[in-house]
Formats: sequence, C-alpha cells, structure tokens
Amino acid sequence: MNPWVRLAWVLSLTGIPLVLLLGVLFPFERSYYFVAFAVILLAIVPFFAAFEGRKPAAREVVIIAVMTAIAVTGRAAFFMVPQFKPGVAVVILAGVGLGRESGFVVGALTGFVSNFIFGHGPWTPWQMFAYGLIGFLAGVFFSRGAAERNGLGRGSRSYKPWIIGYGTVATFVIYGLLVDTASVMMWASEFTWPAIFAIYLSGVPFNALHAFASAVFLTLLSTLIVEKLTRLKTRYGMFQPR
Amino acid sequence: MVRNSDAFGSLHPVVVFGYFVLVVGVSVVFLHPLILTVSFVGALAYAFYLVRWAGLRKLLPGLMLLMVIAALFNPVFNHRGVTTLFYWEDNPITLEAVVYGWVAALMVGSVLLWFVSYNQVMTSDKFLCVFGHVVPALSLTFAMVLRFVPRYLAQAKRIAAAQRGIGRDVASGNWYARARHGAAVLSIMLTWALENAVDTSDSMLARGYGLPGRSAYNDFRWRERDLMGALALGGGLLVVIVASVAGVLRAEYFPAIELNPAVPLAWLVIGVWALVCFAPLLLGLKEEVTWRSFRSNS
Amino acid sequence: MALIQVEQLSFAFPNTEQDVLHAVSFELAAGEFALLIGQSGCGKTTLLKHLKTALTPYGTRSGAVRFDGRPLGEVPQAEQARRIGFVLQNPDNQIVTDKVWHELAFGLESLGTPSDVIRRRVAEMASFFGIGDWYHRNVDTLSGGQKQLLNLAAVMTMQPDLLLLDEPTAQLDPIAAVDFLAATKRINDEIGTTVLVTEHRLETAFPLADRVLTLNDGRLVADEPPRTVGLALVHESDPMVAALPAAVRLSLALDAPDSVRTSPECAVAPPRPAECPVSIREGRAYLARKLDHAHLIAEPGHRLGFPESKDVENAVKARSATEVGDADGAEPIISARDLWFRYSRGDDDVLRGVDLTVRQGEFACLVGGNGSGKTTTLRVLSGLHKPYRGKVRLLGLDPTKAKGMELTRAGLAVLPQDPQTLFMRNTIGDDLDDVATTHFPEKEERAAMVASAAAAAEITELLERHPYDVSGGEQQRAALALALLTRPKLLLLDEPTKGMDAFFKAKLAGVLRRLIDQGLSILMVSHDVEFAAEHASRCLLFFDGVVVTEGVPREFFSGNSFYTTAANRMSRGLVSGAITVSDLVERIQALPAECTSPESVPATQRDAGEPVPEPASQKPETTTGAAS
Repeated sequence: MNPWVRLAWVLSLTGIPLVLLLGVLFPFERSYYFVAFAVILLAIVPFFAAFEGRKPAAREVVIIAVMTAIAVTGRAAFFMVPQFKPGVAVVILAGVGLGRESGFVVGALTGFVSNFIFGHGPWTPWQMFAYGLIGFLAGVFFSRGAAERNGLGRGSRSYKPWIIGYGTVATFVIYGLLVDTASVMMWASEFTWPAIFAIYLSGVPFNALHAFASAVFLTLLSTLIVEKLTRLKTRYGMFQPR
Repeated sequence: MVRNSDAFGSLHPVVVFGYFVLVVGVSVVFLHPLILTVSFVGALAYAFYLVRWAGLRKLLPGLMLLMVIAALFNPVFNHRGVTTLFYWEDNPITLEAVVYGWVAALMVGSVLLWFVSYNQVMTSDKFLCVFGHVVPALSLTFAMVLRFVPRYLAQAKRIAAAQRGIGRDVASGNWYARARHGAAVLSIMLTWALENAVDTSDSMLARGYGLPGRSAYNDFRWRERDLMGALALGGGLLVVIVASVAGVLRAEYFPAIELNPAVPLAWLVIGVWALVCFAPLLLGLKEEVTWRSFRSNS
Repeated sequence: MALIQVEQLSFAFPNTEQDVLHAVSFELAAGEFALLIGQSGCGKTTLLKHLKTALTPYGTRSGAVRFDGRPLGEVPQAEQARRIGFVLQNPDNQIVTDKVWHELAFGLESLGTPSDVIRRRVAEMASFFGIGDWYHRNVDTLSGGQKQLLNLAAVMTMQPDLLLLDEPTAQLDPIAAVDFLAATKRINDEIGTTVLVTEHRLETAFPLADRVLTLNDGRLVADEPPRTVGLALVHESDPMVAALPAAVRLSLALDAPDSVRTSPECAVAPPRPAECPVSIREGRAYLARKLDHAHLIAEPGHRLGFPESKDVENAVKARSATEVGDADGAEPIISARDLWFRYSRGDDDVLRGVDLTVRQGEFACLVGGNGSGKTTTLRVLSGLHKPYRGKVRLLGLDPTKAKGMELTRAGLAVLPQDPQTLFMRNTIGDDLDDVATTHFPEKEERAAMVASAAAAAEITELLERHPYDVSGGEQQRAALALALLTRPKLLLLDEPTKGMDAFFKAKLAGVLRRLIDQGLSILMVSHDVEFAAEHASRCLLFFDGVVVTEGVPREFFSGNSFYTTAANRMSRGLVSGAITVSDLVERIQALPAECTSPESVPATQRDAGEPVPEPASQKPETTTGAAS
C-alpha cells in the first residue's frame, strides 16, 4: 500500500475516535455539529487518498468520470417527481461493475458535482459520504466472483435480486439516514430524542419513494449496465484485477 | 455569473474559499444573537448584490419557511429553560426555548444565504484551483465530470428525439412506461458514453497523461491584492474567533438567558465581525462607485 | 535525415488471421505535409496509431518504426508525448476538461511543466490560433469547428515535431473543415511541423499536401506527390481513383491510358500528361487548355455544353411531373406554408417563412450552410417543435397536433444525425429485434420484418456485430434499418453522409435509390453538395431561415456560382450545365464532332442520343463511358 494511503487510513482511523472523544470530553456550544462534520470529512479522506495513491490510469479516470456524469445527469435530467431518480442505481452499478474503491469515488463525486446544479449547502459532505458508502458497499458485496467475471451471473446464481434488494435498503437506510442527519444538525440546535425522531419520521415518505425509485431503476438497468462495463473490461482491458 | 464581474469573486480562489468556510463556520458555531444578526444581514445584502431581486425572489419564500420551522421546532421539542410561557399538550413552552429557536432560525437563514453567494462566486474552476494540487487525480476526474454533464444532458435530449423518430414515444404512458423509457434513454447514453470514452482516454494518453510528476495548472494568479485581502479578512476572523472562545462574546440560553454585558470590547468585536461580513459587498460597491466616477468624468 | 521511418511494418489484431497492415514502408522527412488516403477500414488509423506507442494497439506485429533515428519503442514516453502530437476524428470525444484554458494546458501539465511556462505557451498558442476570444469559455459552448481547433491547439502547446491527424475534419461542416485544414497547413508552413493526415475531403486536402500515401487493404500501393498519385492509382486500378478530387478525376478520365479515346479522328486529347491538376483553379486552367486545343473558346461568348434550352427543358419536365401529381389530386407528402419558428420568445427567428413541398417518390435534398435552420426545419416538420405561424401537412396529418405515435403509424420515420443515439444492445440484431417488438407483437412477423429491413439496408452480415464495432457508414445503415422497421412512407434524414468516405456514400445512395423505387419518399438535409448533385431528384437551398431557390440538381447547381459542386465550379464559364465530373467527361468526349464545325450541329440533335437525367435515377459515374 502506498505510504500516503496508509497515512490517510491512520489519520482517519485514529482521527475519528479522537474527534469523538474530544467532543465528549470538552463539550462546547454545538460541539456535536463540529464533531459530526469532522467525522464525515475524515471518513471520506482514506477513500480519496486511495484513489490518489494508486495513480489511476487514463482509462480508469475516464470511466469513473463517465459513470459519475451519468449518475449526475440521471439526477439532474430525469423526469417526474423529485425523489424518483436513477442516481443511486447508477452509483450502485458502478460499484458492482468497477469495484468498491471506484464505487466510492463515483458515489462521492456524484454527490459533490450534482450540487453544482442543485446548490451546495451544509448537506454536501453528508450526501457525498452517503452516495460513496452505497457505491463502496455495492462493490464489497457484488463485485467479487461471478459478477466481476460474467456480469450478473446466470439463472439461480443471478445477483440481480440481491442487488435490487441491497439498493432498496441502502437508499432508505444509508442515504436516508445520513442525509436526514444533516437536517438534524441544521434544525435541532439542541439534541433531544423526540426532535431527532420527528425529523427522521418526516423524512420517511421521501426516503421510501427514493428507495422505490432505486429498486425500479435497478430492475430496469442492472443487466444492461453491468453487461456494458463487462464488455469494456474485456475489449479494452480496463479494470483488470490488480 | 460573468467571470470576475464581482470584485470579491475576483480575489484568488483560495482566499474566497477560506472566507466562506470561516464565515459559515463562525455563524454555525457561535450562537450569539448579534453575531448571527450581523451575519444574516451581511449574507442577505451580498446575496442581493449578486443575484438581485430576481434571483432572491425564488429563494426567499423557501428560506422564510425553513426559518419559521426552525424557530418553532425548538420550543416544541426543547423544554429546558426557567421561564414557562404556557403549556402545550402538557409540555412547558419556555421563553428561553422560543428565543433559542429564533437564534437557530437566524443561523439556518444566514448559512443558507451565505451558500447562495458561495454558489455564485465559488465556481467549479475556482474549486479546482483550490484542490488541484492537493488531490490532482480527483480534481481531474471532477473537471471531466463537469465537461461530461452538459454534454450528456444535451445527448439525452437527442436520444429522446431519435427514439421518437423511429416510433418509440418517450414522453407518454403511465409512470412505469415512462420510467422504462427513461431507463432506455439512460442505457443508450451509457453505451454511447462508454464507447466514446475510449477516445477520451486515448486523447489523454496522447498528451502524456500518466507520466510521473504531473503539475496542476490554473488560470488564477496570486497577486498583492490577494495577500492584502487574505490578511485583512483572516485577521478580522481571527479576532472574532479568539474573542468568542475567550468569552468576550458569550451567550447562554439555558437554564436562563444570559448575554455578556455590553462592554466596549464586545462591541468592538461585533464591529470587526460586521466589517468581515460586509467586506464582499463593500468591495463590490467600491468598484461600482469607481465605475460611476469614470462614467461621469468622461 | 528522415523524421520517421516505417520499415516493413505488418500488424494483425489478436485472434485474427488477416493482416491489418502488410509490409508497409515509407519515410517522412522533417517539414513534410503528407496525406494518407484509402477506403474506410484499409488500416489508415491503425497505421497512424503505430507512430505513437501510447496509442499502439495490441496484436502481433513485425517490422520497425524509427523516430528521429531511434526505434520508436526506445524513445521515452515523455519525449513521445511532447514531440508526437495526435488529433483524433471526433472533436467532442478528445476534449478532457470543461474549460478551454484548462484543455490547452492539459498536455503541459502531464509533462510536469511549471505554471509560468504553461502560461506563456498557452498564451502563444491561443494567439496563434485566434483563440483569445473564447479562451475563458466552457468547452460545451463551442462549435464543432472551434472544438477541433482547440484539440489541435492543445497538442501544439507541447511544440511537437510530428503531428498525426486521424480524419480530423470528418465530423465538421465544409467551412469548418476548410478552416481546420488551413490551420494545419499554416502550422506546417510557419512552424515547420511535419504533418501526416488521413482525410476523406480530398478536394481540400490535395492542394495542401506534398505527398499522398495510399493504402489499400493494409498495403501501401502508392507514395507519390498529389499531381502524379492519380496516375499511379489508375495504373494499380485502385478503387481510390473514384474518390480523388474532381480535377484529378477529370484529367485521368480524359488522359489516362485506359480512358483515352481510341477513335483516330479525336484531336482533343493531347499526349498523356505527367501531372494532373489538383485544385479547382488548376482544373479550370486544364479545362481551358483542353478547349483551347480544340479552338473552342477562340470566339468570345461561345460556350460548350448543354445549351440553355436543355436546362429549361429539364426544368419543365420536372415541373410537369409534379403538376401531373397535382392533377391526380394526390396531396403532396409534405407541404409546409410560411413556417415561422424560434426556440424561445426572446430569441431570433430560426425559420422565417419556410415554404416547402415534397411529393410522393421524390428524393428531395435541403442544402445550405451551417446554422441556416435546415435541421430545425426537419424538427418542425416531424412535430418535434411547433411553429408559431404557418401550416404543415405531412402524410395527411398536422404534425403539431398529432398525438403520441400517430405520425409513425401514418408512415413517418426520422433518422437522427448521429446513429449512435439509437443503439442500446450488444448486437445490431438485438437492437432491431427490440425496436421490432414495439411495432410487431407477432414473433414470426417480427423476424421477417427484421430480416427484410436488414436486407434493404444491406446490413444482413452485420447483425451479429456490436453496433460500435462497425464503421460510421455501417452504423448509419444500421440506424436506417431501425427506421425501416416502422414501415415508413416518408423518411427524413439529417446529414446521413457525415464522416463517410466515397464508397460508403455510394452504397448508401444505392440503398436509398432502391427504397425510392419501392415507393418511399425522402427529404434529406445535407451539407454534402456533391452527394445531392449526384443522387437527389430535387435540391432546395436554405439560407437565413427560408428556402431561397430550388430545382432539379442540374438546373439548381448550374444556377449557383459558389454553393455548387467542384465540377461545376471548375467548368463555370467554360462548359455550361455540367455538375459532375462524368457530365464534363461526357461533354468533352463528345467534342470531335464539334471540333470540325461547332456551329453547324443543332443543339437538339447533339443531345438527342443522350439519356435525359431523370429525377431519382441519375447515372452513377462509372457507367458514363457507355454514353459516348
């Protein structure tokens, strides 16, 4: 592992508990806001450092940019009700097709760049981390073995239902929870459980619709997208297992 | 936003970015009514200067709503405080919580307004200038995404039109039919994007991407004016932060409201903070005055 | 010493038997401007990519490439990146970043150049190319021509010694293409950069080149200066002869051994020349000499060619044909009256009173400059945009009111400019099946329709291929097959010949002509004047939002003086009414009778034996020999 990447992991893994500890030991006005913010940023650091550290090849950079741009376009251009977007589905399939590290980068960049269209705010790092984590976990669960070599597997060994299931849950739990936490930070200037609960509860309909959209788009897109990424890997020798 | 049309925005991106981070940070952390009032008014004035009434009109109703929610949210869920105003469903609504709610509303409002200006001033190329040296590969990927997104949005329209041309209607049908057509458009676009990306990577390779020791060029130069700006704004912010941490400006809401006495030093700090918050606007106005004088002289 | 030397280079892609390149050898001296020509798929791109290791494809290879005296493989990557510049075909695909200035700096960033040096180099190149005005713009606001110029400038900031250009103008409109090639020539002249360029636009490129290398099926068949390469190719009976510039083709047809007329009384043909004319100007001089030789322009005012009466005759014929249609009471397949359109309220009008009629069985071609509103017209006609004034009837419907797929059911199919906006699946066959599913629920019917559409578009042998693994011309025909699945009566085509070489154009023309014979009507929008002249039954010139003039190609193009075919420009004032090289050849080869006493032969008699060019069935060039 590249020394810088190792340093980033050390920074992240010691930094996060340290920040939490400091937050508990020396509480000041709204210290939790700082703590949460710092934790999110520190959590993003090692993933980005890993991407920098492996000095990505031209084709890798291009494919990650393409997948990110597709996800952002999906978030920006696509139809109908606000929460009914294919963004998460594309991020997940990028994770499945390109592996966990690229999955994180595609996700985090999607969150970041799409806010140049929707507007940046204190929620930006939270969205970045949420998208990134979803892409990363998709890579962890599905990019090994059959999915990596032969697309989504065949017949009873197909990964597709699992991917759809994962996408639905991840959108609701990971994205919903993290982005609603950003709202908690904004609204609840004092932490009280009923207040937090009220905010999460108010987010449930949106998150449910969002999760449903992910399920629909994963159903429609998963085979097609993974096939395409597989063709690219075989034809142009990209993303060979290192 | 036209490039460099705004005096503050024409400072070096590092200065601009640092300014926004610190001003928003101070506004979020130190919940002092005066700090927040000044910050709110400063943010509103600068946002108005940048996007004018036409831009603000779209944002203000939402902003107001969010602020009202924030103001009501706290007294409903927060029952600390010694001065009970009344009971609502057996829960005490306290004066302290109501005041705190309004302070929180100011915080929410000023943060959102600062981001209005941030989104105008801190364009993507400035962001790249700040982070290009720190994370070169990510910055390049980021620039490429910015290049692809408008291209893909245009291509999505072309694909939808092309689908119509061969008898596949993209825009009609029930929600599922439309989602399916949307997925088809996305899928056609992905094929197109991935296949053409091979050219893009060839073009990068042809121009030496991947050689060791890549440098990060940006079109912004560090001038004396940037140094002066950085020192002035940084110094001002440092004064406010140190004063707040040291307790010159103190605000306690619970159990009882307790603001620091109106000592001259505190007013001085507020004055410095006001200068910092209004600096972008003042810079802009100063330049407009200069232009006016040019025009009247000629 | 030669800058680049290629010795006995052979190459095959992995898992294939066929060599893409076969024992290719040539040298380029520093400062040369060389043109590499050949049919699509002859290995031009592969050869070019062998001159830069970063782009060299995987496969089995033999032979050697030497750069500046050293084997290319031993030249360090950084040196290659700097000294060998490469510009690809598609202007959009090669741009990496979102800002013009960043794109210009990209190569120098890769080399690790310090910022102040980058600033200077970028400024120099921006000034050289006149980029100053759009230096700060986002790249997506640039036109195609500006984008390609940016790609060239972005390579030139590294100050390369060798510039490799792979069909750089294929995706550009004619004016941008001429500008781009002129910029390339300027680099060659003023900076001394060696240039190797592959091109299909030989009309523009030939006069610029010092040398023309010709590839046929991976073999280098000719390596000659432009003035003599034509003769060499005729000698080799290479198919590229048909794609050469008009002036070259004219002189070859008249003078080359196999086409020199054998009749002893012919006094016209001088001995075979050592050189061919390559530009319009030289072609005119050549033609004038030829006619002078026959004492034909001794008298001022005397002109050779179809007399005016013939043009009038043609025009009358075309008109009466349409009138007959009207007499039958048949409604024109498209009729547009006084169309006005703008994209949004505050914008300028794009269409400013368009009147246009297309009749059953016509192959109408809308030509005109960039941004004149041709494509917008197509969109308005197909109901994609609504005009704010004026009326359209198309296949008996009003497109502005047609709902859902009504127009498709009535028989309208629209082919997009970019066929890649249609492909989704992993094979062309799957894509055809997919589209067929929406129109034909029955399985057998669907299979039959797919087969017949594929046959009509001549892509049957491509059905198993991935749509992106076939060439641009084949993609265009695959897209045509997709459109044919709707069983159209009317086909709208937007710039279908873009980026195609002469052979794919001929093939497409054949496909379209057969469709018209089966009763299809076509309205095509195109920059491609030569294609329109040769194949359309009627041309309409679009300018500034209106149809300025229209007519059958001969009448139409001989009425224009600049916006016309190369053959017409070459013969303007010398031979009237000739719009293709075969017209000219035909006219001049008919000379001997005229040499003796031009005035004595009545025009009508002279023309009697010639086939009257009929709409939609213009004779292709290869058959003209029979006419004389």
